[in-house]
Amino acid sequence: MKDIHIVDILDNAPLADLSASELRTIEAHAATCADCARAFEAASISALLIKSRTSEAAEHTLNANPFFETRVLAAWREQQASVGAWSFGRLWNATGAIVASMAATTAALAVLTFVAPANNATNQQIAAVVPYSAETVVLDQDQDDNQLTNDQVINAIYADDDEGK
Amino acid sequence: MAHRFFRDRSQAEDAAQETFLKAFAQMKSFAGLGSMEGWLTRIATNTCLNILRAAKRRPELVTSDLGDNETEWLERVSDSSRAQPLDAEQKVIAVDLAERLLESLQPEDRLALTMIDGEGASVNEVAEVTGWSESKVKVRAFRARKKARAALEKLLGHRG
Repeated sequence: MKDIHIVDILDNAPLADLSASELRTIEAHAATCADCARAFEAASISALLIKSRTSEAAEHTLNANPFFETRVLAAWREQQASVGAWSFGRLWNATGAIVASMAATTAALAVLTFVAPANNATNQQIAAVVPYSAETVVLDQDQDDNQLTNDQVINAIYADDDEGK
Repeated sequence: MAHRFFRDRSQAEDAAQETFLKAFAQMKSFAGLGSMEGWLTRIATNTCLNILRAAKRRPELVTSDLGDNETEWLERVSDSSRAQPLDAEQKVIAVDLAERLLESLQPEDRLALTMIDGEGASVNEVAEVTGWSESKVKVRAFRARKKARAALEKLLGHRG
């Protein structure tokens, strides 16, 4: 025991926190070791000085009103809420026009994409049911007329020849 | 909080003002979930540590700097039984001497020693206030005790 110096015990923990057995060990060793006795004395005075300093600081400590934290937190939350709303308003003012125009464009594109093709499909169905349009019929009739006319012309030309033979 | 670091009232008030200015500027960083007191304490601790670091003045406590009353105080305390209470005059001398002893330490060591040995705070509590790891707090406190003890041993050695 005599050979084990006690400075590590002194430095490891506050003197006030040392257990009774640790204090007995220190005192027993300090009785036979001059260096450790001086170290123990210095540690004791150091602890006394630090205690005096902190007790003086505690006397000067100002304690805030117990409702201080509650009031500050309430004010802070209120401020946070108003800041949040204000941020959204400012964002809308800055980008509202472009956002509105983008929304309108998107809506228009959606109408063109989903509604217009449906109309085209209806026309195509009608076209499938009625294979000849009025124009086709008229044009075809013209063609037939032309063909008939041509035949008549040819017949008229060669009819004279045939008759001459 | 500032009185832990500064005995001088004006210095403590300056530190407190700076703390509240920083808190106001960093209000957005406060999430509102934890304790506001804890948040402010951490800002105050960092502010005080920064002020002390900037001072860069760590005068070593030497015998020649001691006044007669401080030398007498040391003799009286070391000769008499340790449990004896100090009277008002002795308390003032003790606080002066303690302040000079603390000034010789690094700000972080000083904080750990003041909180753990002086105020009886746990290692965990110091870690929460400072944001340090528990092992760092232990190392700081160990180093501070060792330095303070060594400085006083020197004074007692010269006296003897």
